[in-house]
Order: sequence, then structure tokens, then C-alpha cells
Amino acid sequence: MNTKDINKIKEIAGEENVILSEEERHCYSYDSTRLEHMPEVVVRANSTRQISDIFKFASAEKIPVTPRGAATGLSGGCLAVNGGILLLMIDMDKILDVNPVDLLIDVEAGIITEEVDAEARKHGLFYPPDPGTVKTSTIGGNIAENAGGLRGLKYGVTKNYVNALEAVLPNGDIVNFGTRTVKGVTGYNMVDLMSGSEGTLAVITKATLRLLPVPPAKASILALFDTIEEAAKSVRDIVSGGVITSTLEIIDKVTINAIEDYLGAGLNRDIGAMLLIEVDGQQGAVDSEAEVVKKVCNSNNALSCRQASSDQERDEIWRARRAALSSLARVRPSTILEDATVPRSRIVEMVEAVNNIAKKYELPIGTFGHAGDGNLHPTILTDMRDKKEVIKVEKAIEDIFKAAIELGGTLSGEHGIGISKAGYLRMEIDKGSYEIMKRVKKAFDPDNILNPGKIFTDL
Amino acid sequence: MADKKIKTNDKARIFKRYDDLFNCSRCGSCTSYCPVYKNTGDEAVSPRGKLSLIEAISQGKLDFTEKISDKIYTCTVCGYCDSECPSGVKINELYEEMRQDLVDSEKYPQALDFLKRRLSEAYNVTFDTNEGRIDWTKQIPDSKPEDFLKDSADVFYFVGCVSSFSPRTFSIPRAIVQIFKKADVDFGLLGDEEWCCGFPLLSSGMKSEAKKLADHNIARVKEKKAKTLITSCPSCYHTWKHEYSKISSEKIDFEIMHISQYILKLIDERKIKLNKLDLKVAYHDPCDLGRNSGVYDEPRKVIEAIPGIDFIELAANRNLANCCGGGGNLESLDAGLSGKIAQSRAREIIEADVDILLSACQQCERTLAAALKKLKKEAKRKIKVRDIAELVLESMNAK
Repeated sequence: MNTKDINKIKEIAGEENVILSEEERHCYSYDSTRLEHMPEVVVRANSTRQISDIFKFASAEKIPVTPRGAATGLSGGCLAVNGGILLLMIDMDKILDVNPVDLLIDVEAGIITEEVDAEARKHGLFYPPDPGTVKTSTIGGNIAENAGGLRGLKYGVTKNYVNALEAVLPNGDIVNFGTRTVKGVTGYNMVDLMSGSEGTLAVITKATLRLLPVPPAKASILALFDTIEEAAKSVRDIVSGGVITSTLEIIDKVTINAIEDYLGAGLNRDIGAMLLIEVDGQQGAVDSEAEVVKKVCNSNNALSCRQASSDQERDEIWRARRAALSSLARVRPSTILEDATVPRSRIVEMVEAVNNIAKKYELPIGTFGHAGDGNLHPTILTDMRDKKEVIKVEKAIEDIFKAAIELGGTLSGEHGIGISKAGYLRMEIDKGSYEIMKRVKKAFDPDNILNPGKIFTDL
Repeated sequence: MADKKIKTNDKARIFKRYDDLFNCSRCGSCTSYCPVYKNTGDEAVSPRGKLSLIEAISQGKLDFTEKISDKIYTCTVCGYCDSECPSGVKINELYEEMRQDLVDSEKYPQALDFLKRRLSEAYNVTFDTNEGRIDWTKQIPDSKPEDFLKDSADVFYFVGCVSSFSPRTFSIPRAIVQIFKKADVDFGLLGDEEWCCGFPLLSSGMKSEAKKLADHNIARVKEKKAKTLITSCPSCYHTWKHEYSKISSEKIDFEIMHISQYILKLIDERKIKLNKLDLKVAYHDPCDLGRNSGVYDEPRKVIEAIPGIDFIELAANRNLANCCGGGGNLESLDAGLSGKIAQSRAREIIEADVDILLSACQQCERTLAAALKKLKKEAKRKIKVRDIAELVLESMNAK
């Protein structure tokens, strides 16, 4: 980019919205992958019109544009790998409308997810997707990555709550996808195509999201097991027993010990695994579902199975789970959080596979995560400055991917491909699918200016 | 990357801290807590951004620049990031060292030069001479200023610069002195022998200048044979309690208490009698008393000891309380941003809908009162801002 380009960007975006200093651009070069790619200029987006004008200029001049929300991603989705313009979405953070009859909320894309939920709760409603970064990440980023979270089993993931979108295409066209209705089959389902498109097809500027009434009752249960196999069997039996829990989380021994090192909460270090289970709904249904859950856990030899009798007790139960990643993060300098996902029926095998990989490469791997979704988070504890170990880590990651795919699973349950997993995409996706995906990308973005370098390695 | 020479300060402390810096996983959790980030959206002032800048310096990728200095100093020193960081990065410590490095390489904001000069010449942070330290005592009934200057006493009250010199906050030390008198406490003031505690220097990265003040203050209190030193300013308290032993060679042989702790002691010992007040109140935890010193319970116990009080917890309280915006030196470096942070906190107070917002810090009270005044149209009722000591005195005087 030359001075003329920069001046033109200032003219379009407003000089106060253009960040040029090296120091400040550095702060927009990273995300949660800890990789760094310097953008040449950062633009604070403030309207759909402004973004459209930027794209008209960028597509004419073939300048790359990379959208960025809160940069909490784990696959490098918001990194400006080819330089160019980094489009900062966080100033577009308004709630536009809430409609408690249609159960819809209209928001700008840069709003923080938790604020959407907070607004919904003022109307007795809630926004179900609950990614780990709910306090920090933006809705635009959540949609682009199709973020998951803790409530996946019963409530699904982000894409299940997106009814309509306003977006800007790489040529500057402003488009509106989807409907405000429950049903709608007019044309291709472009909303679903956008969910999980990782910011490579269009920049999402506004979203119409679905809300649900807050369930009146819930129950939280903590079950401890001697072996992780017994815990995993319980997961399977709970679902086949006809109970769809709102949350079904597993924590393995390595993670329990890390939590105990950090919190000193009095967890039994010798147990093999724990399950955190939550059911919600009408009181009567919650009571009978909680009974089924406890019965299943006990019949799988649970060492103990306790239902929280107060909010305080519930918070205690959750304290350990909330601290899981932080506790692992304190063990060694780097934590590589994977999200390979398998069908629920194959969890036991996946856990075994991860344990074998940990042994094979002599790497500490803590596993916790959304067992109900088959979405485990094997977390490799390492030091990415240690070049020798990095090679082992990379091999272990590849083995984890292979294991997941062999079990009928997928490379990524909720973090996305981005640059982190781009090299592995063909392990899972057949040639025909890969080629048609590239053609979709080309149809949206013929010059490859929008978020280049992501998902595909050969564009 | 590596070909870029480090032009200044190759002795910088930060070069030794790469291990600690590398522990930041860049998860961005801190961006949901940091008051300066939330009110600017500027990643470079977020803890994650600041740490990434410091890391880049430590790796020779970036140089010490004025711009980086501005970003590093845009901070209320509230400690929220440090206490909530999921990876346990020692953020407070790293900031402190970075600020020292910036001072060493003369890249600190010019506004801090005034502070440095004033504290070495007049030993207080205002434009006044230090002789005026106890002018505020003139309005106290049945006493003369000299009555409070004693050669020895059980208790010495370290008033702090703001409460000593800023007329808007005089009501706090006046209330405290009257409580002491009513409770028959054997107490004294240091008068012009009280020097600034050094907190503004410490939070600017000027440790050696702060040491002089610490040495002086400790020596004076020791001379007075005090058993207990009391502060009403949480930053003075934090500095006395947690920083002096690190920077001064003088040994402290007396107890250090915040006024909220001391009042609770007086209540427990039945030295003061509290009468009924029909008021709905909330309490704002000052960062230097709560998060940075761990004093959460005593102020609450004092408030709840007053009969008739309807005590409401703010939604964000204790270790999760948001900063008032007046912390560190932000107000003198960026008054606009400090005011914006104060208004964010004021909105949370308005949400609680109380008669009185209590705090235990003259600085929080000043910034929050100003913010609530600006936002008075948003409030359902007029919310007064008071110090716990003032409310205690009012309760003691109530019929």
C-alpha cells in the first residue's frame, strides 16, 4: 500500500478511524493463537455504508481486507496474513431491536455476546449459544466461526440462532440474507452458508438472532468416577436414556489435578474423571430428568453423585469447570487447545486415543470439554519456544486429528480452520467438496481480497 | 525482526521478563474487565495489548517510544486484569517494571515531572506548601489545630494528600477526628511532618524517589511511639501495608490499619454507639482497599452495624468491582477518559437505586460524585456520595 492508498482510506473511513503507527498496528497483529501478522492499516468500522465504501476501493485496488472482532479466536481467523486493511468491528455494537413476540433480537455485529444475552434476559428470554469467550467475543465473530460452547447438546450452536444477516460483499455490495420468520425457503440458505464461513465470504454487519424463553427450573449434578470410561459410558447412557441435558461436561484426571493445584478446592486427585451435568425446563421435567441422570451415573459405578441444593452449591460445582482451562494454562507456558470432535457414541475411544497420544509423545495432555457433544478439548501443555518439543506437539496434533476422523468425527468442532488447521483440511474433506468450496469462495470474492490465506492453502 | 537495534536502555528490566510475558496466551479475557479498554476500544491500552507491546520490546521487535509510553501509562492501576487473568500472568508486576524502564529511559509522560518535582520540594501532590497539612482541622468544634499535634500517642492518623488539601474532601478527616474524640481514642496527627506516602511515584515507576518518602514517614511514626497507624486513603493504606516493606530499609514496628478496620474495632469494643438511620445504601469497593489489599468485609460489617440501614450490594462488587476511574495517575494524564470510566461505574450505581453511595476512599468519592452529578437525569432519585466514616459519625450523632 502506498501513501495515496492510505490517504484514500482516510478519506473514506474518516481520519479518526484510521490507525497507522507501528506500535498500535502491532496490537492488531495477533489473536488467541499467539501468531502475529501485521496489518498495514487498521480501520475502525462504524457503519455498513463505510464498510461498503472501503470494499469498493479495496476491490478496485486489490488490497486485502481482514475483519476482526475481539480477536479471541483459536484458528487465526482475524489475522491479516497478507497485510492490507484490518477492519475492526467492535465499534458497531448497538442493540437495534428486541421483539419478544417474534423471539428475535437485532444487533450490530460488533456487540459482545454476553450483552446480547443480558438484553434478552430483560424480556425473560435468553440467547442460548454460550461459547467460552461469551464475555469477550463479538456476535459477528461467533457467527463467522459458528461458535459452540457449553449448551450445544440441547440448544445447538450459533448457526441455530441466526435468522437473518446484513453483510457486505467483497465488491462492496450490501446484501440481506434470511428472513424474520420461523420458516423461510426462499432461495438458497445463505444464512447457514455465512455461519462458519470464517469471514472469508462477506463481512457480517448486522444480525437478527433467535431467542428462547428462560427455562423456569434447572438442576446441576456433579458425578465422580474411578475411570474416565465409566464417565464416558454415563454420557452415552444419559442420552440413550432419553434425557437431553442442557450441559454435559467432562473433566479428566490430568485436568482435575491441575485444578486442584490451582484452586486447592479439595477435589479428590485419585478419581479418573468427573461429569458436570445440568438439566433445565419445567420443574416437573427437571426433577424426573435429574433422577434419570443420577440413576445412570450410579449404575455406571459413580463414586458419588451430588445434586446442588442451592445456588451457592451450584456455583461451587461450576467453579472447577470454569477454572479448567486457566488451571491447565498455569502448568506450562503454552496451552494448545484442540477441538477435534467425534460422534457421542465414540467418546470412550477418543479419550483412549488421546491418552495413548500423550504417552507416545511424552506430552502432558489434559482433556475436558463438552462430552455431550462429543466435543472434547484435548489441551496440550507445552512451551512453544522449545523447537524440539514443537515438532512433537505438531505430530501429536496430527495424530489427534487422525483419531477423530477415523472415529467418524471432525477436525474442528467449534474453533474453525483458519490458518491453524488449513493444512489438514484435506484429511477430512474429499476433493470434490474442497473444489466446490473454493468455487463458492471465488463466486463471492473473485480477487481473493477478503480474509485471504484462510481455510484453503492453494488459493 | 532481529536486525532492529535497541537504541535505548539496554539495561531494561523487561528484557529479563520474557518468561512471564510469554505466559500471556492472548486469550483476551482481560478486555472484558479493563476499564481503560472498555471505554476506548483501543487494543493497545488493554492489558493484552500492553503486554504484547512489552513483549515486543523485550524481543527487540519494537523500541521504547513515546507512543508506547502513553499506552502503558493509560491505566488506573485497578488491578482487575491481574486478579482475573486466567493464565496467572503477573500483570501488576510487569507493568511496574515497564514503567520503571520508561522512567529510566526518560520516556514517561511530562505531566509526571510536575508530580516528581512537587514531591521532592513540597512533599505533597498539590500546589500548596506542606505547612497547610492540617488546615482542615480549623472547623472542628472544641479544638485547636495544635491539639492534634502530639509527641506521642497510641494512634496516629495519616491523613493523605487529597484529604489534607482538597476542601471537597475535608469532611472525611473531620468525621474521623470527631469519631476518635467521641470514642476517647488517644490519637495524633503528624502535621507537616506527614509527607506524601509515595503511591503516585510508585505507580509512575519512580521507586527510588518513593523510597525517600517512605523512609521519612516510617521514621516519624516510630519517633511518636505509635502502636497503630491509621489511613483513610486506600492507596496510602496499600502503600504503607504492602509496599513500604519492599522499598524502605526502615522497619515498621506498629500496626497499620485502614479506618474501616479501626472503626469496626471500636464498634466491637463498644467504644462507639450507633443510632438508627433509615437509608438505602450501596458500597463501592475502592481498588486499593479491596482487590489490591484484600479488605472487603470490614467496611461491610461497619455499614451493617448501623441500625435501620438497608444495604444493597452493587452488581459488580468485591474483587469484581469496577474502578471509579480515579486510580493511579490517569486523572492527571487523561481527565476525559477518567471521567468516562467514572460514568460507567456511576451507571451501575444508578441501577442499584440507593439514597447514598458509600465508599472508603476520598478519590472514589470525588470521581463518582462528579459522575453522578453529570448523570443525574438518568437516576430515579438523588444519590449522595459519602464516606463510611461520615455515615458512622452521622449515626453516632443521630437521636
